[in-house]
Amino acid sequence: MKNEKDIAKSIRREALKKNWRLFRRSKLGMIGIYIVIFFFLLSILQPILFVTGVWNKGVYDPVVGYSEQFQEFLVVECPTEYPTEKYKNRSDCPGRTEVNVRTLYYSDAEVGDYIIQNLQPAPPSREHILGTDSLGRDVFSQIMEGSQVAFILGLLSATLGVGISTLLGTIAAFFGGKVDAYLMRQSDLILMLPTLPLLFIISAFAELQVWHLAVVLGTIGGLGGSVITIKSQALQVKVKPFVDSARITGGSRMNILFSHVLPNVAPLALLFMVFSVTGAIASESVLSFLGLLNIDMSWGLMIYLAQVEGFIFSGMKFWWLILPAGLSVTFLTGGFYLVGRGLDEVFNPRLRDR
Amino acid sequence: MYKYVFRRVYQLIIVFFLFLVSSYVLFDAIPGNAFQNLLLNPDLPPEAYEQVIKLYGLDKPLSERVILYIGNFFQGDFGYSYKHFPRTPIELIAERLPRTLMLFAMVNIIAFYTGFLIGKILAWRRGSKSETWITVTSVFSYTIFYPWWALMMLWFFGYKLNWLPIGKFLYPEKWYDAPYDSDVIFVSMIKFTLVVSVVQILVYIYTRNIESLSMRRNVRFTSLVTIAILSLLYWNQGDLAVQKPYAMDIAYHMILPIFTVTVVAFAGTALLTRTTMMEVMKDDFILTARAKGLSQKRIRDRHAARNALLPVVTSFIFTIVTIIDGSVLTETIFSWPGMGQLILDAVLEEDIPVAMASFSFIGVFALIAHFIADISYAYLDPRIRIQSQG
Repeated sequence: MKNEKDIAKSIRREALKKNWRLFRRSKLGMIGIYIVIFFFLLSILQPILFVTGVWNKGVYDPVVGYSEQFQEFLVVECPTEYPTEKYKNRSDCPGRTEVNVRTLYYSDAEVGDYIIQNLQPAPPSREHILGTDSLGRDVFSQIMEGSQVAFILGLLSATLGVGISTLLGTIAAFFGGKVDAYLMRQSDLILMLPTLPLLFIISAFAELQVWHLAVVLGTIGGLGGSVITIKSQALQVKVKPFVDSARITGGSRMNILFSHVLPNVAPLALLFMVFSVTGAIASESVLSFLGLLNIDMSWGLMIYLAQVEGFIFSGMKFWWLILPAGLSVTFLTGGFYLVGRGLDEVFNPRLRDR
Repeated sequence: MYKYVFRRVYQLIIVFFLFLVSSYVLFDAIPGNAFQNLLLNPDLPPEAYEQVIKLYGLDKPLSERVILYIGNFFQGDFGYSYKHFPRTPIELIAERLPRTLMLFAMVNIIAFYTGFLIGKILAWRRGSKSETWITVTSVFSYTIFYPWWALMMLWFFGYKLNWLPIGKFLYPEKWYDAPYDSDVIFVSMIKFTLVVSVVQILVYIYTRNIESLSMRRNVRFTSLVTIAILSLLYWNQGDLAVQKPYAMDIAYHMILPIFTVTVVAFAGTALLTRTTMMEVMKDDFILTARAKGLSQKRIRDRHAARNALLPVVTSFIFTIVTIIDGSVLTETIFSWPGMGQLILDAVLEEDIPVAMASFSFIGVFALIAHFIADISYAYLDPRIRIQSQG
């Protein structure tokens, strides 16, 4: 008996090794995995920096931190007509280290003087790798916090959703009849509801936090179209000879379902999971971009803040408020998508290179 | 087979009924109602608010309202919009839907065509360095954070370069003394686009079987030039010559949204085509074609791509269903007054009749698509056909 278990274990280890070798051959999957690992390291780096005391919580906290950024400014008077020698158009004046004399209310400095003022949002410096936002909070720390939110939300909702859809899909395939008809109509119903307006409605009557949103997204994703796909996969597994032989040797229905059908549906489910992480992160960002979520800090919220404070149309003058958050969402979702493509090439025999 | 179809129809009707009930209950779950801002008006006595609530029947219990609503719904009575009072939801949808359909039909056609071409080439060059990088780029343009991307495009083309307008459907100052309603002009634009695209598709279908590649290219190019000349003539005659500047204004406002959405949408088609193409290329008939000594281009275009087209077309049909759902963000960012904005405003302001009407419109749309998909799968796949009989 012990021997048998050892053999099973070694077979499993061999299969894992073989799959890993296949996965490594896909360049796309490897690029994706590097991106995901990079963001994962970012997300665990922040608590480490706080605990070891490298970062002071009062300065670097992504939500309530504040850092004073004093800088010398040259007082200038902006011309009324453009272009002049110094400024090409209206948005160039005042420049980054200049201040318009007309906007100085608390100082009686003259044109040509240097005054020291608090500069927020401050450009990247040695203390703040990606600068600070308009409230003096460190943008790099916010990116790290956003990456934690993205991982928690994406993985939680994907696990929940795929768990639900795998269970329901295999049950629908295995029992058929009325159960099947009911489950399929249920997923029709979920598919009919337009996703984004539905999320707006839900966020209107419930104050959504990260956990709630993960549950909501997971449930909607898990009851929807993936049930149908997993059911069709389970139908193919169900007619395989080994299921018949398990039935003949006296396996109970539950036993066949859990130890024969489910493991063979698992690769497809894993694939779905990776793709639904992408969807969950994107939905969270869209909802916080529209200001509908009750989340302290996330990438979508950073862009929302940059937009409502008017920095988006200031162009690249305040690039550290606009680019890092948007690129983070794009790259992390893209990374998960690439991992999914790589897994697809492992699990789908028709896609393998040879 | 007929028994199966009947059972599906019967089931779908039940699903639709459940959909109506659940969406009504969802709307009702939003706190507050559409008329609460009347309470903020100091000139109105509180009785006025209660009277309005009573007038619209919002004081009745939920169950009674749901039954009333669904009863009226199946009689074809959608009620009146709360926010745009004298207009009915049907009128509003009839006004808004063409704008959304026009924008997204153009996006989808361009995205589908370019995506299919790129995906085809990507799959054919599998494993090469350029393939990897183009695929990675298209993955990122597929997963790009859409609102952010749209805002960046608005900033770059609308503000920095000042080439294209920042959102909106038209420049109001140009339309002060316009002899036509914008909807009239938009309808004639839709007619024109429809005819041109149908002609173009027909040309493509008929030239598909021309054997020599250079001949085919020439015929297609000539037809393109002919269509361009004909459409120029068409827009310069009589009534349409007056409409032309206004139509140009609307078209000018359409460029940026179309470009922005296409960059995101084409990547999805390209990636799907790449995958299905790679599956098809493993099939034996490709090997046979190679053994026959056909040219690479012919194998790629005639044998592999033609067979990879089926799932792509299926996904194309399904994207048409999700157009209205997907238009919410685009139309909000580009201030394009279409269905997406209508739904969003209706949901946020709790204009229940409009929201219900547009939700059920999407529902009917999705139902028909699912029904067609189900029936055709059952027709094509004997396993499902037999199972459903047993």
